[in-house]
Amino acid sequence: MKLPKIASVWLEGCAGCHMSFLDLDEGLLDILAKVELTDSPITDYKDFNFQDLELGIIEGGIANEEERQIAKKLRKQCKILMAWGDCAVFGGINTLRNSFSTREILQRGYIETESTVNGFIPVHESLPALLEKALPVNSTVRVDVYVPGCPPSPDAIAYCLTEILKGKIPVLPTDMMHFD
Amino acid sequence: METNSIKIKITIDGKEIFLDEELSILDAARQNNIHIPTLCHHPDLSAWGGCRLCLVEVDGSPRLAASCVTPVRNGMEIISANEKIIQARRTILEFLFAERNHNCMFCPESGDCELQNLAYELQMDHLTASSSFDKFPTDMTSPVMAFDHNRCVLCGRCVRACREISGARVLDFIHRGPKNLIGFDLNETRENSTCHSCGVCLQVCPTGALSNRYRSHYSVKGHDQKDWHKIESFCPLCGLLCPTTSIVHDNNLLKVEAKINQDRPDRGQLCVKGRFEVLRTKGQRLTHPIIQNKNNTWENTTWENAFDLVGKKLNQIASTNGGDAIFGLVSSYCANEHLLLFKDLMTNGWESGYIDTFDGHDFRTIQKAWERLDGQWQEASWEMIPKADFILMMGATPYQSQPVIHSLIHRSILENKTRVASIGNNDHPLPFATWQLPINNGEESLLTKAMLIKALDLVKDPFRTTHWKNIYKETKDIVLADIINKLGLDEKGFKIFHDILKSFSASLNPLIITGQGLTGLKDVSGFHDTINMSLLKGFISENVMRIIILKPCGNSAGAWQLGISSPKAPSRSNDWKGGLLLLSGEEAFSHEFSNHINDLDFLGVISPFFPLPLDNKADIIIPIPLWMEEDGTYTAMDGHENVFKRRVLSPPDNVRDTRQVLTALAKKAEFYNQNKPEDFP
Repeated sequence: MKLPKIASVWLEGCAGCHMSFLDLDEGLLDILAKVELTDSPITDYKDFNFQDLELGIIEGGIANEEERQIAKKLRKQCKILMAWGDCAVFGGINTLRNSFSTREILQRGYIETESTVNGFIPVHESLPALLEKALPVNSTVRVDVYVPGCPPSPDAIAYCLTEILKGKIPVLPTDMMHFD
Repeated sequence: METNSIKIKITIDGKEIFLDEELSILDAARQNNIHIPTLCHHPDLSAWGGCRLCLVEVDGSPRLAASCVTPVRNGMEIISANEKIIQARRTILEFLFAERNHNCMFCPESGDCELQNLAYELQMDHLTASSSFDKFPTDMTSPVMAFDHNRCVLCGRCVRACREISGARVLDFIHRGPKNLIGFDLNETRENSTCHSCGVCLQVCPTGALSNRYRSHYSVKGHDQKDWHKIESFCPLCGLLCPTTSIVHDNNLLKVEAKINQDRPDRGQLCVKGRFEVLRTKGQRLTHPIIQNKNNTWENTTWENAFDLVGKKLNQIASTNGGDAIFGLVSSYCANEHLLLFKDLMTNGWESGYIDTFDGHDFRTIQKAWERLDGQWQEASWEMIPKADFILMMGATPYQSQPVIHSLIHRSILENKTRVASIGNNDHPLPFATWQLPINNGEESLLTKAMLIKALDLVKDPFRTTHWKNIYKETKDIVLADIINKLGLDEKGFKIFHDILKSFSASLNPLIITGQGLTGLKDVSGFHDTINMSLLKGFISENVMRIIILKPCGNSAGAWQLGISSPKAPSRSNDWKGGLLLLSGEEAFSHEFSNHINDLDFLGVISPFFPLPLDNKADIIIPIPLWMEEDGTYTAMDGHENVFKRRVLSPPDNVRDTRQVLTALAKKAEFYNQNKPEDFP
């Protein structure tokens, strides 16, 4: 039997959601037996070649050009897209920078910080440009399943994965929902 | 409209409900355990209908109605929730979230937030509308409260609480449309506004817009709110004994909330002391007795050693120099039980010649004035303030001593148009007082004399007691103009002086509020004249004088009534060799005989904290719990009632109860065994 393909990506976030996923511990074995995990942060691909995915998972918000493109690429190749964590769902902690311009942010971060000597703003073709605002995933592509939380609890992640594998589109129940 | 006789029948979700009165749909539903979510609504505040989260369907109308402001009508059919209503509520909630920064992950109130709970309840797992990311100001000027407008949902609860509970009317909406904000006064910062930091706005705020700067819920993040304990108690810090609800987690005091209660004249507010200062660490806590060795350094000792040492030293002094060489000083912040035990220990244990409280001077001033009166009269209760039509503040700074009284006077001015004269050196004058008359330090007694003479002149048909003759005799030879000259009142100052007294003499129900500004003075005549002046206008009711005396400490009334404070001032000839101090951790150590304790053979201190100004004078310091860690009874400021205050926290491991400490010392005391009652076990 061909297993449904799943890919997860780590965009503007801290990897905490993936850690929470790993916190399923032995519960992971049940889920992984039922799917083929094609991409995840540990595959460390420099470019993605998503194909015929049943489910795409995004951790983190959209804050630079590369992340925007990955999100679009993933959306095209997956039937269901799931957003993990406050950053992907609401923008999360990244939105703290939205009240400043990107210029101010880079200036402060690379030049003006108290510990910086002779700082400069790095520019390179391999460095993606910051978007003007850090935004949730649904600002760029359509999202089917939202799992808020910082990070979402392993139970919430397991619940959504199991429901999706049953062919349903879950909405997180009240008792599993938390934003912090 | 006569509503009492109306019998109303309504239907909510098919359930028939009969009502005697015209409630709002929301109240009718809640009385019948039907849940309707709300945000701007607060049971202790007036209904406002601002947030629209309580929408319900009425009589099948396509336009949903806000249940908190829609009154029930006979025959009304209401649906509290269906797909359309829930969708509407969720959309409203999404707009609220999208409008400003409601990212819970970096909010100090996350986990204790009504907005967040609504999002969970309505399963709002994402926002359809994009957030605005507009930046709003943050007011951090107050040391006790932060106001982050980015987290404000403009529900207006704080505005209503400031008006309806505190009465300060500091908060209101400013600017319009998307720039709408909560503002202080005419767009001031909190620190520069007339806000007196009662914190009722913080208590009713449903989001993280207002947060407590002394405690953040981060300290318990990750823990379930069901582990929070709510402990009902009282605040013993100023004598008003405001009822409190302390919220405790794992022996951490998270917050203290007022029990909002429309029956109390202050409507159940708290003040900056009871709500915020209690959360502040006031010094270095002690958990072991410590003794000062010969090199002037402190070292730990055992409890048994500590009790032995105090016993040995004081016994020695008592047998060589007699009990008169031993003194005991106690803080009037202590509970009645501790005051009594301390006095008993000192008198029966060492036949101590002098026992007093730190506010003993104020006690003696008042006592002397009382002795001169010719009747058994009582001071008025602070609860009389809202009934007065004229208030004279003379030597009272309730802003510092009893902030809830400051708030009550503030509200009386705004709501009852009470005329208020604020006289004296006041750092925080009442901003809306009718008259302010600042006077120089040292001229208080002169001014009170002038006021008494002027009042004698102006008050028509003064209340005549036998005492009145004395007043008249004492003042008839004094020329008012001389005093006015001495005071250096200019024309403007004199006009204020004149207007105040004219208003006083014409008033029907005047009150004089006085306090440490007069009772703390060396010259007691200022206080006497103030009492006399109040007598000219008679009594509030039988035996109740038109005067409120603000007490210096939380349990002054208790200490004074129980006879702990000494009726005699300490004399310089007093040859003290040793003594004991019982501190509560709240008092500022300043006493007229703090100089006397410089050259003692022995000084023992019992205190929750390392007592900083005394550290080089004490030989031993024995720790005790803080007031919030012990049960105790306290006497209200007007002396009319005693309140049992439960403890809200457990003391640190090792620290023994004050009663335990005092009893252990009694066992070591020289004479206690001889002086004990016969049936003492």
